[in-house]
Amino acid sequence: MKTKRKVWTIAIAAALATSGAMASAQENEPIKFGLCFDLSKSYAFITPQVAQAAQDLAMYTNENGGIEGHPVEIIVRDHGNEPQRGVECYEQLKREGVFIYNFLSTPVTNAALPRAMKDGNILMQSFVGRGDAVDGEVFGWVFPVGPTYWQQAANDVAFIKGQMGGDLSDAKIGFIYLDYPFGQEPIEILKTLAEKEGFQLELYPVPLPGSDQSGAWSKIRRDKPDYVISWLLAGGHVVASKEMRRNGFPIDRYLSVNWMNEVDINNIGAEEAKGVLRGTNVAGGQDVPIVKTMLDTYYANGKGSGPESLVRDVYYNLGLAVYTTGFEAARLAIQENGWPLTPESMKSGYEAIENFDANGLMAPVTVTPQDHGGGGKTRIEQWDGANWVPLTDWSADYIDVVWEVIKESSAKFTVE
Amino acid sequence: MFYRLSGVYHSSLISDSRMFKVPADRNLAVFLLLIGLAAPFILPSLYLNSYILPWLIWTAAALGLNLVTGWAGQLHLGYAAVMAVGAYSAIHTVRLGVPWEIALIIGGLAASVIGSLFAFAALRVKGLYLALTTLAMQFVMDWVLTHSPTISGGSHSSLQAPTLALLGQQITSDAGYYYVALGWCVLVTIFMLNLKRTGLGRALVAVREKDFAAAILGVNSFYYKILAFAASSFIAGVSGALLVATFYFLAAPEQFSVNVSIQVLAMVIVGGLGSIIGSYFGVALILLVPGLVNGLVVTASEELGMQVNVETLAHIPNAVYGALIVIILMIEPLGLGKLYGNIRDYLMTWPFDQLRK
Repeated sequence: MKTKRKVWTIAIAAALATSGAMASAQENEPIKFGLCFDLSKSYAFITPQVAQAAQDLAMYTNENGGIEGHPVEIIVRDHGNEPQRGVECYEQLKREGVFIYNFLSTPVTNAALPRAMKDGNILMQSFVGRGDAVDGEVFGWVFPVGPTYWQQAANDVAFIKGQMGGDLSDAKIGFIYLDYPFGQEPIEILKTLAEKEGFQLELYPVPLPGSDQSGAWSKIRRDKPDYVISWLLAGGHVVASKEMRRNGFPIDRYLSVNWMNEVDINNIGAEEAKGVLRGTNVAGGQDVPIVKTMLDTYYANGKGSGPESLVRDVYYNLGLAVYTTGFEAARLAIQENGWPLTPESMKSGYEAIENFDANGLMAPVTVTPQDHGGGGKTRIEQWDGANWVPLTDWSADYIDVVWEVIKESSAKFTVE
Repeated sequence: MFYRLSGVYHSSLISDSRMFKVPADRNLAVFLLLIGLAAPFILPSLYLNSYILPWLIWTAAALGLNLVTGWAGQLHLGYAAVMAVGAYSAIHTVRLGVPWEIALIIGGLAASVIGSLFAFAALRVKGLYLALTTLAMQFVMDWVLTHSPTISGGSHSSLQAPTLALLGQQITSDAGYYYVALGWCVLVTIFMLNLKRTGLGRALVAVREKDFAAAILGVNSFYYKILAFAASSFIAGVSGALLVATFYFLAAPEQFSVNVSIQVLAMVIVGGLGSIIGSYFGVALILLVPGLVNGLVVTASEELGMQVNVETLAHIPNAVYGALIVIILMIEPLGLGKLYGNIRDYLMTWPFDQLRK
């Protein structure tokens, strides 16, 4: 029986050895981006697009000389949205020389954050994880470039204010949200703004997974809010659109969080969805130069990293936005501090990004040592039946109010 | 040959009530313990801190669930919620300035109180109804965690654990965390090994087999069920707290959600109800195999130079893993522990039993 055990240990050891090969060569080492994604569970509605965008972008960069002459490598792993496996992925890639991570899942990012902070590794966490991580003075290694949900909600309120003639004192704004941390996050900021601007805020929680919204919408029918800001995801929008029709709520008063893509529009029906509003920090569609480049160079010859249908999805643009920013940071880092790229130089590279919009792909970001979010600019777009039409310019409003909340929250975090 | 036995024959009560009835089993346990103690020196840190450590803590947790489900026969679908109670109360206690040793016990006790409180209500019903009631407890706990920022740590629902310190010693190294996990797992294992040979253990088994038959024998089944819930909740609470203290470093509701409860139950069932060694195997299969298979599939596709879509690549390990569970349960419905037991029993007197035939 001992031999049995031995065989077992040897088998395990062999399995471990194959997956644990370590690299050491310095000079020709590629710049490695670790993508520990949830490709099989809750986040699978976005991760394939983002991973594909990162791979396309790396391919394009490598074919055009790399980042300051150094090739880029994208390592994609699945963690199935399980914190334990995310940590495992982090630890494994760490030993393969990766120091730039993206987990694209709130629970997993949360689980990996203490380790990244302790080890001093770059954590890209646009759109996921804790919002106060934009405070670069506390979260030195975390780069949530893009708007926080707080900033997004504040920008939404500013848009509504503009639509209502600059005065919100008689306005009534509804907030429909998934009743868990993702949806609850903006409530605080909305309450603060309601007090400041004098509008009436109505909250409509929807239980997970968002397929039952009838209670919330019949309340909305009674309350008649001027606008409804929506923090729902994927299928939640489709259910909401049905409920809007049933309750006679105009869809052009429905302002969605950035999580609304072509798939959702198709499910609602392109015609039916006409007028729906969305806050976003990336330009959607394929008219963006960089997306066009990808389509022309790769997808026209069938050489893309995945199916073309995923390119025609705003989350692909979002992935490009996240990774162009990351690549730009690496470029600045090598330019400033030379090779090899280290977590420290990568951090200062990020913090040197100024007014970068990836050639019209996204809201211009300026990352500073204080603000790792890059300014949090968004714009409001409206679906016209075929395209998203921007209604506003890239802008960020109520910045001081948002930062008050950020500071208050980040003060509670300490690195041990 | 391996066990140097011609069979297990007891000639006295003392030999029958030994913890290890076969000397070779005891030797093996000691041998494994020694390997466990030496692990930080022989294993690379990756395997130590991202495979072995969670494996040990989850094993301790699974043993706790095995106590209530395997021994006392009460299906429990809210085990992760109990772990959450332990984790959150321990962390909050430490944040108030109480040392970790006491906080861990408070975490365990809090979990124990909440767990058995629920059991009081839940045990009025049996079987599937009980399972549903415990599931309700899981949902209540989920709701409480996502709706009370004071407990869950602000609007992001992540609560940082202060640095673990035991006996005045700050623990920050991989080896340190590992030894804490090992210590706890060994402690729980010893408790479970002893449970088998106590009146309590026998009473629990009696309750499991038929609670009214047990009542006729003078075993107060309600009392023992509550006791089982309380003891298992204590183990869950401390395991939850240690999981956060040594592995996650911060607590978030998703770490203790309903699918985690199902996972622990799967660990116990795949491992074998009422089997201690089975819990070790079950946890290894449910917790570690997905990651390992994932790594193997990725390596294999790289070695073979296959251009596999990342999404497909992510789903293959899931399929393999699911198939593995089905196959194992088809080969041996009583779980991995029984599978191991079969091999052990076959080898017990081998090769001499072959001569007899």
